[in-house]
Amino acid sequence: MAFHLDYFLASLVSGLAYLPRTLLLVSLPLALGLLGGLVLAAFRVYRVPVLGRLTALGVSIYQGVPIVVALVIYNLLFMSLFNDVAAFFGVATTVAEVDIIWVGIFALALQEVTLMEESFRGAFYSVPAGQREAALACGLTELQALRRIIVPQLVPVAVPMLMNHVVGNIKNSSVVIAIGVAEVLTGASIPAARTYSFLESYVAAGLIYWALATAAEQLIGQWEIRPEARQSSWFWQVCARVRRRRTVTVAQQEKRGQVHAELEAYQKIL
Amino acid sequence: MLSLKHIRKSFDREEVLRDVSLQVRHGEVVSILGPSGSGKTTLLRCLDFLERADGGELTLDDLHVDLAHAKRRDVLAMRRRTAFVFQNYNLFANKTARENVMEGLVTARGVSPDEARKKAEEALAWVGLLDKAGEYPSRLSGGQQQRIGIARAVVLDPEVIFLDEPTSALDPELVGEVLNVIREVARRGIAMIIVTHEMAFAREVSHHVVFMEGGRVIEEGPPEQIFSQPREERTRTFLKRYLTDSNMYYI
Repeated sequence: MAFHLDYFLASLVSGLAYLPRTLLLVSLPLALGLLGGLVLAAFRVYRVPVLGRLTALGVSIYQGVPIVVALVIYNLLFMSLFNDVAAFFGVATTVAEVDIIWVGIFALALQEVTLMEESFRGAFYSVPAGQREAALACGLTELQALRRIIVPQLVPVAVPMLMNHVVGNIKNSSVVIAIGVAEVLTGASIPAARTYSFLESYVAAGLIYWALATAAEQLIGQWEIRPEARQSSWFWQVCARVRRRRTVTVAQQEKRGQVHAELEAYQKIL
Repeated sequence: MLSLKHIRKSFDREEVLRDVSLQVRHGEVVSILGPSGSGKTTLLRCLDFLERADGGELTLDDLHVDLAHAKRRDVLAMRRRTAFVFQNYNLFANKTARENVMEGLVTARGVSPDEARKKAEEALAWVGLLDKAGEYPSRLSGGQQQRIGIARAVVLDPEVIFLDEPTSALDPELVGEVLNVIREVARRGIAMIIVTHEMAFAREVSHHVVFMEGGRVIEEGPPEQIFSQPREERTRTFLKRYLTDSNMYYI
C-alpha cells in the first residue's frame, strides 16, 4: 500500500481547517470542568449538606456510563425535545438551526466535571488541615482561606492528574463523530472521500491530535513547578517579564501624571 | 478580661472537657499543664472555634459568646481579636515568611498591602528573622518557622494569644529560641494561654498555672504554689513524674 504524501498534506490542511472546532470542543469543557470540578470537590470535602451528597451520587452514576453512550443519549434527547422546549420559552430557533457541536460540548463538559471533581478531591485531602485552621485563626473566612491558602496549594498536586484529563479530553473530543459533529478527524477525512486515501487522512488527524496534546502537556506542566523553583523555567520567566513590564508601565504612568501635575502647577504660577 | 465558663466538649461519647472555667486578666500569662489526653489542646481549640464546644460561655471584654451556638459573625469577631500559635507551626506553605505575617492583616483586617508589609517586616525583625522574609517555610528550621508563627500572631495585635504546645515539635536545641520570643511577647503585655510541657519555662513566665486532668481543672494558682506546694495529690504525682522523666533525658 502506497502512502501518498500529497494526499496526506491535503488531509493535514483540511484537518487543520477544523482545528478551531476541536479547540472549542476541548477548551470549553476544560474550563467548565476546572471550575465545576473544583466547586463540586469543595462541596464534598466540606460536607456541604445536600449538595455534597448529590455530587457524590451524580459523579458515581456518571462515571459508570461510557462517554459515547452518554453522547448519544444527549443527542436523542436534544433532537426530540429541543423544539418543544424552545417553543415553551418562546424562542423561534428550531433544532435544525442549532450547531450540534453544543451537544458534544455539553457531554464532554459533564465528563470533565466528574473527572476533575475526583482529582481535585484527592488534591484537597493532600493539603494539611492545619493550613485551613491557621487561616481561620488569622481571621480569614472559609472562602478566603479556600481562595488564598488551600486552592493555591492543591493546584500543584492536581496538575499531573489534570494533565491526564486534558490530554484524554483532546483525544476524546473525536468521539463526537458518533453524533456527527464536524471537527479535526472529520476534516482530515474529507479528501479521502474523493481519493480513498484513508490511511493518509487518519495519520494526518493523528498528527494534529498528537501536536495538540503535546503542546497542552508542556503548558500545563509549568504549573507543576512549585513557586520557589519557577525562576528556572522559560514559561515563568516570560510571565515575570510581562508582569514586570506592566508594573513598570504603571509606574511610568504615575510619573507621567506627576510631571503633568507639576507642569500644570507651574503654568498656573506663570 | 477573658473569662470562660462551664466549657463542655465530647468526641462521640468520649467526654474531653467536663465543665472547665478559667479567668485571664489583661496581660496575664496562663499556663495549662497536664498529662496528654487531659483536654488542654481541645480547650484552646474550642476557644478559637477550631472545635465546636458542646456548651460553655466565653467573655472577651465586651464580647459575649455562647460557644455551642455562636453565629458566624461572633466566631469571626472572636478570631479577629485573638491569635493562635500551633504545635506544628502551620505556616502557609504557599507564602513566604513575609506574606505569612501579612496575610491576616491584608485579607482579614483590610490593612493596605504597603502598611501590612511594613508591619510584617517590623514583626519579623522583632523575632530576629528579617533576613528570612523572602523564604518559603519549607526552607526554614522548625525554630524559625515557629518564631514566624509567633510574629504572625503578634502582628495582628490580639488581645490574647493561644499557644498550643509551641515547642513540642522542636528539636531540643531549637526550643530556647522560641521560648525567648514568647518571653518577649509576655514582656509586651499581651495576654497568653499556653499549653506546654516545658515546666521550668511555665514556672518562670506564667502569672497563673492551671493543672488539668481528665477534662477537669484539678488545681490552679500562682506558679510558686503549684510547683512548690501543690495541694492535690494528682498534681504532685504528675509534676514528680515529669520532673524526674525530663531529668533522665538530660543525663
